[in-house]
Amino acid sequence: MTVLCIGGAHQGKAALVERLYPGLPLVRDLHRRVQAELAAGRDPLALLSELYGCAITCDEVGCGVVPLDPADEAYREAVGRLCCVLAARADAVIRVTAGLPQYLKGEQPCI
Amino acid sequence: MLILVTGGAASGKSAHAEQLLCTYAPGARLYLATMQPFGAAAQSRIARHRALRQGKGFETVERPFGLAELHLPRRYDGILLEDLGNLLANEQFAPDGAGDAAFGSILAGVAHLQDCCETLVIVSNEIFSDGMDYPPETASYIRTLGQLHTALAAQADAVYESVCGILLPLKGGGRT
Repeated sequence: MTVLCIGGAHQGKAALVERLYPGLPLVRDLHRRVQAELAAGRDPLALLSELYGCAITCDEVGCGVVPLDPADEAYREAVGRLCCVLAARADAVIRVTAGLPQYLKGEQPCI
Repeated sequence: MLILVTGGAASGKSAHAEQLLCTYAPGARLYLATMQPFGAAAQSRIARHRALRQGKGFETVERPFGLAELHLPRRYDGILLEDLGNLLANEQFAPDGAGDAAFGSILAGVAHLQDCCETLVIVSNEIFSDGMDYPPETASYIRTLGQLHTALAAQADAVYESVCGILLPLKGGGRT
C-alpha cells in the first residue's frame, strides 16, 4: 500500500505514519528529494516508481506568494505536481496538523 | 450559482474547476483568462491550461483587469474565471488597473459576470502560509486577496480547496 502524508513543517508527520503504518518503508521529506532531483537536472516525476509501496512524508510548500526566483517557482510546482500524481495512486492521503491526521483520501487503519 | 476553488501551487485546482463548470454548465461555456502572457513561466502555464481545456467546448476571452466593464457577446451557462490572484495583481500593479480600488473593482466585476451566466466558477490561490515578511506593496496584495476570498466565500454557494489533486469541500457542495 502507498500512503502520502502532507502538512506544514514540524507537524509530526513521520512519527504519525510510523505509528499508523509500522509495516511500510518510510520515505521522509519528499520535497527535499524533489529539490535534489531538480538540482541534479533530473525530472522529479522519475521518483514515482520507487515511492509506491511506501509511506511518504512531504511538506506542503505551495501555499505562499509566487517566488521571484524561477528556480524556486519550479521547485514548488514540481513538488505540487508530483504530489498530485502520487495522491491519485495512493491508498491514503493524510494532512497532518499538530500531529493530528485528517484523511483526505482513504481511512485511518484500526491499530 | 457562485463556486470558489482555491488551492496552493500545482494543487490541481484548475482541473477541478473545469470539471465543476462542465458538471454545472452543460451548454455555452466561457473561459475568462486573466493572466498576461509575459515570460516563459506564464507561457508554459497558459499552454498547460489550454491543453486541459481542449475539446471541452470553451470559448476563451482574455481580460487582465476591468471585468465590470467587460462586454460579452452573449449569455453563458457557465463562466470559468482563472484566476483571482492574477486579476488582483493586474488591478493593483498594472498602469491601467484599479490600483488602490482593486478590491471593489473585482467584486463589481464578479457581480457583473454573475449577471452574464448561470454558474460562475472562480479559481484562486492559497498564498497565505509561507510565513514570510514582504514589502508593503506585496503585503497589501496578500491582505487584499485574503479579503476577497473571505468576501467571495461568504457569497458563494460552494467553496473548495484543492490539495494534492483532491477536492475538499469547505462550504456547500458535496465531496466529489
